[in-house]
Amino acid sequence: MSIIETALQKKLSFKIDYGEELEEQINQLVDEIAQRPVIAEQFPHRWLAIKLLEEDRDIQIKLLALKDGASLIKVAQKSIELLKSVQGDDLDIQIADRRYRWINQLVNSTVQRPLDDKRAFTDRFDQIVTHRYLGIPIFFIVMWIVFKLTADVSAPYIDWIDGVITGPIGNMIVAILNTLGLRDSWVSSLFVDGIVAGVGGVLVFVPVLTFLYLALAVLEDTGYMARGAYVMDRVMGKIGLHGKSFLPMLVGFGCTVPAFYSTRTLENEKDRILTGLLVPFMSCGARLPVYILFSAIFFPRYAGTAVFSMYLLGILTAIGLGIILRKTVFKNKEQSALIIELPPYRAPNVKTVWLYIKERVGTFLKNAWTIIMATSIVLWLLLAIPVNGQGSFAETDVDHSVFATVNRVVAPILKPLGFGNWQASGSLITGFLAKEVVVSTMAQIYTTDVLETNAESNGFLQEIGEIIFTFWGATVDTLKSLPLIVGVDLFEEEVETEPTNLMNAIYASFDASSGGHGVFAGLAFMVFVLIYTPCVVAVAAERQELGTKWMWVSMVGQLVLAWIMALAVFQGGKLLFG
Amino acid sequence: MNPLLIALAGNPNSGKTSLFNAITGSKQHVGNWPGKTIAKKEGEFQHRGYDIKIVDLPGIYSMSAFSPEEVIARDFIVQEKPDIVITVLDAANLERNLYLAVQVLEMNVPVVIALNMSDIAEAKNIQIEREGLSQALSVPVIRTVARKEEGTRDLIDAIVDTANQTLL
Repeated sequence: MSIIETALQKKLSFKIDYGEELEEQINQLVDEIAQRPVIAEQFPHRWLAIKLLEEDRDIQIKLLALKDGASLIKVAQKSIELLKSVQGDDLDIQIADRRYRWINQLVNSTVQRPLDDKRAFTDRFDQIVTHRYLGIPIFFIVMWIVFKLTADVSAPYIDWIDGVITGPIGNMIVAILNTLGLRDSWVSSLFVDGIVAGVGGVLVFVPVLTFLYLALAVLEDTGYMARGAYVMDRVMGKIGLHGKSFLPMLVGFGCTVPAFYSTRTLENEKDRILTGLLVPFMSCGARLPVYILFSAIFFPRYAGTAVFSMYLLGILTAIGLGIILRKTVFKNKEQSALIIELPPYRAPNVKTVWLYIKERVGTFLKNAWTIIMATSIVLWLLLAIPVNGQGSFAETDVDHSVFATVNRVVAPILKPLGFGNWQASGSLITGFLAKEVVVSTMAQIYTTDVLETNAESNGFLQEIGEIIFTFWGATVDTLKSLPLIVGVDLFEEEVETEPTNLMNAIYASFDASSGGHGVFAGLAFMVFVLIYTPCVVAVAAERQELGTKWMWVSMVGQLVLAWIMALAVFQGGKLLFG
Repeated sequence: MNPLLIALAGNPNSGKTSLFNAITGSKQHVGNWPGKTIAKKEGEFQHRGYDIKIVDLPGIYSMSAFSPEEVIARDFIVQEKPDIVITVLDAANLERNLYLAVQVLEMNVPVVIALNMSDIAEAKNIQIEREGLSQALSVPVIRTVARKEEGTRDLIDAIVDTANQTLL
């Protein structure tokens, strides 16, 4: 052997000391490898020995295709069993740990850095929030705070927007229509009962969404979301889902459409389809207005908790369904790991957070002006056209409208669920266009008297003044409500909000259709909205990502499941507490 | 003489792509790894009488089989036996990046380390003894700032020097 060759050999024989027990097995395996020429020629010996001890699937598959590969794996298996009996499971983690120890020593002796408080803080904080047992409860507590905060903080602003739309803006519209000589005409009805009631009913929820997205953006930008994904990865693994599935699910809390597109990060087709089927159960932002409205009606004192439990139910449904599907339709197979970088914690960046909110609330507003405006007008028409000659156009009682007549056909299907009235079935059908339309439809159906058509405008400047004044009042109310989130009522004031006409009307209607069990019917309705088919746009995204067949499976499945779960809630509730 | 085959390995966000661009300039071609939708970039250039072909491996954190990217990277090293693997390290996140470097070294291939984003590390007052690192790993460790094309010349020199030693 020449001098250079020896030097090269030495240069290339980089070794990490894996400790006596591991080294013994590694050396034995290296000898075994050397005796198998076909394998010895292809792989670096020591590296292959380590991979064998790590039980690397890809290497095992490659070896099986080679001469003497199977016998080598068998030998390695003996070494692994021996090591596991002494050192416990997770040999690959032990090997990784040794590597890191070696690296830490090297870095300690060659790198000097200023005391990094930020990193130290991150590490200490991560020890808690990614803790083996504490991590998951902490994640759910954080999520609960987010929804509680969203509901409580935004409540005064919801009232404010509601007040602005039905007050100053409504007055101005009415005043303009009146000066144009359209008082009490069908045009006036279109604006007041159609557009203001429909679009206005949805715009009311802009504050909720703004605060929800604010909270999610802050969690993401501070770096906590990555921890959430990391913590949930273990749960996902247990229920047979890929770690990467969690990211689309998280996205799904914002909107189901991008959630479908983000399933693309999953390599394996089965994983991708399974994740795609479960993504709609992550409650999207558009469903929130329905929960808020119904919680305020049926659970006024526990509204935040009621909303949160919808989110939780969605998650649990996805978990349950995931387990079942994995054991039946999507049986398999090896799983690959989630690799995610946990960035150091940092203060949220105002610009990033702003862009996050702007993009999502912007979509919501765009929907309000397009889809919801259009459905409001069509719905107004359907509500205005009388059937059986009862009343005339735009004069008829909504009970005798085309919309009511058509939806009465569907309503009996929903009767066992407690909301077998045409108003509920109609809202659910229009809700297919976009989930927030459920609310705008109800606003149109139930309240034909949002605005006093004879109201005189108090003059433009005075109206603007009132808008600003009430906004200030809402902000004060919000600040007052903050301590309530942790259960402290500093201001000792009854915070229960006055039920609006709409809320009273819905309560009465559900109470009637359920035979006096309105609360369970309301809860069943919330569950139905959570589970049933998301909006048209989401279905289109689903078809694009999963194919037409799975789109249909998913749509029909969701309808059936929604019916069954709402049935269970209503009948179960009646049986247990009725 | 056959061209030198160089593989470029490194973590995502270690500045690997910037370094690849800085070294190869405009002479690159982009394709896919066989049977995968993961992009494969190659570039060619000459230096001190060597024809050098450089292949950009997918950005990875480890040489296990947790992702198709990792399998592609290690299959390339095992099967194509590149003459040298440049391992790019983010100097400001040395531990995590060394985890990959150590595993490349374990594959018994000649390695040259590019201690990249050194300006950021220096700005954070992180002082790295390159000599010490180089001795402990027994490979050249070159200071680079790929975005500003600093140290790329030194890196290519180190590649050729290492090639001269190993191919003698």
